[in-house]
Amino acid sequence: MTMISKNSNSSSKWREILRSRTLFVWLLITPAALFMFLIVGWPLLETIRLSFTNAGLGGEQYIGWENYEKLLNNRKYPAIVGRTFYWMFLSVLLKMVIGTAGALLLNAKIRGKATFRVMVMPPWIVPMAIGCIGWLWLYNGHFGILAGVLMRLGIIDGPFEFLAYKSSAFYSAVVTDVWIGTPMIAIFILAAMQSVPDDLYEAAYVDGASRWYRFRRITIPQIMPVIVTMSLLSAIWTFNSFEVIWILTEGGPRGATTTMIIDTYKMAIANYKFGYGATRALMVVLSLAVFSLLYLILLNKVNERYKTK
Amino acid sequence: MKMLKKIQRISLIGASLFLLMGLFQIQAQELRFIMCGGEVRAADQKVIDAFQASHSGVKVNMEAVPWGTCQDKSMTLAAAGDPVSLSYMGSRTLKQLAKNNLIVSVTIPEADQANYQPGILNTVSYEGKFWGFPHAFSTKALFINCGLIEKAGMQCVQPHTWEGMYQMAKTVKDKLGIAGVGLAAKDFDNTMHQFLNYLYSNGGQVIDSKTNKIMLNSPEAVETLEFYGKLVSVAQEGPTAFERSQLKDLFNDEKVAMYIDGPWGGGQHKKTLKTIAVPIPSGPSGTNGTLLITDSLAVFKGTGHEDVAMELARALSSGDAQYDLDSSWGLTPIMKYEGMVANPYYVNSSYWSVFVEPIGSGGPEPLFVEYKSLQTVMNSMIQGIVLGEGSAKNLVATAAQKLEEFK
Repeated sequence: MTMISKNSNSSSKWREILRSRTLFVWLLITPAALFMFLIVGWPLLETIRLSFTNAGLGGEQYIGWENYEKLLNNRKYPAIVGRTFYWMFLSVLLKMVIGTAGALLLNAKIRGKATFRVMVMPPWIVPMAIGCIGWLWLYNGHFGILAGVLMRLGIIDGPFEFLAYKSSAFYSAVVTDVWIGTPMIAIFILAAMQSVPDDLYEAAYVDGASRWYRFRRITIPQIMPVIVTMSLLSAIWTFNSFEVIWILTEGGPRGATTTMIIDTYKMAIANYKFGYGATRALMVVLSLAVFSLLYLILLNKVNERYKTK
Repeated sequence: MKMLKKIQRISLIGASLFLLMGLFQIQAQELRFIMCGGEVRAADQKVIDAFQASHSGVKVNMEAVPWGTCQDKSMTLAAAGDPVSLSYMGSRTLKQLAKNNLIVSVTIPEADQANYQPGILNTVSYEGKFWGFPHAFSTKALFINCGLIEKAGMQCVQPHTWEGMYQMAKTVKDKLGIAGVGLAAKDFDNTMHQFLNYLYSNGGQVIDSKTNKIMLNSPEAVETLEFYGKLVSVAQEGPTAFERSQLKDLFNDEKVAMYIDGPWGGGQHKKTLKTIAVPIPSGPSGTNGTLLITDSLAVFKGTGHEDVAMELARALSSGDAQYDLDSSWGLTPIMKYEGMVANPYYVNSSYWSVFVEPIGSGGPEPLFVEYKSLQTVMNSMIQGIVLGEGSAKNLVATAAQKLEEFK
């Protein structure tokens, strides 16, 4: 009798669990969670494992912390990390400023604005490799249009190879990256601007607020969540940007455009040092994680400030 | 009941077909062949077709991959445990592949060894064994645009020394405002190659292949790097943005008066240009030399049919097949064909003598366990002098020290 009642109790419990909302939710999440584990979790775990080996063309052996020690003692690595953050900061700043300015212009009530909105899209739509190859030609000192125009204007007196010198190669790569990344920022910020209620502007206008005051006190606070999200996303993409630098300079000349992701590729794939490369890849993940955390904390504070005012 | 029998019959036929296909697959042997260079050359395809015809059940699956990614592909496939059967790739990769136990050594009979040009077999040798069949060979020469030289008031003749070459380039630069010489210094393999042409013309070397000792830190190498730096003042703007094929474009566009290229260069120049090819001038400490570069057919380990792959590689690099390739592609003759075919294409040719005569005094592409690291270190040294970031002595010493790690 007791046995029967126990059985009926447990089966009713199971029935309850099966009917419960929690299980239903978990059932829905499971495929996505499994998929995420397969494409993110497992490779990450494998990278961590590899970073403790000397994996290369000839196989692999566990070597403990040796790769990490080697990396931390590498005199060139701090410069690469610094360059990566500088590259990211400069590129994201320019994308955000130009993107916001572009969004403002695209939001203006003028005839044919739809055409202008379409016209800003090509850098984003064109495959990145093709766009970069186009820039490669623009930067060519002997056949490129940039040097040609500068020569005709008398700014330079002969061919100038933009990608041949350390500084010019770095800033040329930044310009190309900004060209590719700005349209998307502009479109997202434009979408955010369009969602700002007109009533707010009308009320401010009636109160005698200037254009600048309306932009500063209405537009910016209203679109701040989008700015925060887009700048963070853009920062991550720029940090990991590979194609632009690889196609233009392959990290040269003399490492002047080598960022952490280029350095990781060169080590892991080009030099077949998969273990040491994995260590560098984890440094990229770690740097981005720390940066994202600090960035989010900082920008949440900025957000709060705008909300309260 | 009838339906059941029908299903049984269909299942039986299906299973038999499946088994037959399996048996067929066991009998058929597929050779995966990666051909670096982006295309399968007609001379090679002819041999492959004949090989398939004479070996029933053997199918050669060709994959032509551009140079930029080809060697990485072959090597990473092998490292991942999925090796191709054979690959046509730069001989510079062989030491690394051999050291990591990814390719098998090949046997070249002594009679055949004697057919090769001097120095060729050194490019595929490591620890007393051959690791690939040499299949393409190039030497280099200095191409001069005589139209520009004469316009600058000089006679278009061979400069015998570096100083003569420099003065010629300087005169072009001063009088015509055009770069006297094309200089490669981009992050690319042929930047190192171009430097090695000068180094071997000055009696220097990078590594002693017999003792495996780094020889770069020498007065000859310092002199060579100093000369490379000196050429910057008479070269095209921004050498660090240029590799050899881009120099050819400048040469065709009459934007540089001379540059170094292989024998194929002659056929790629504009027909309207009046050009000559001359041996690379000699440095103060040497006689004119050249870099001997070969590409080889390497047979990968672990496919289970290394013997068949080896047979194909041997067929492709055999005397007649190799002659077809060299003559149709304008390559420096890899073998001494004088004794093998009547009137070979390079004999009695003043153009070809420029590429054939320096073979004896040429130096091989250095064999390192990490060939990409060799390239990185050498290019960094070259870019250092081009960008004025140190003295030749310091740059050479630093590079030599770094190379110790990769030999």
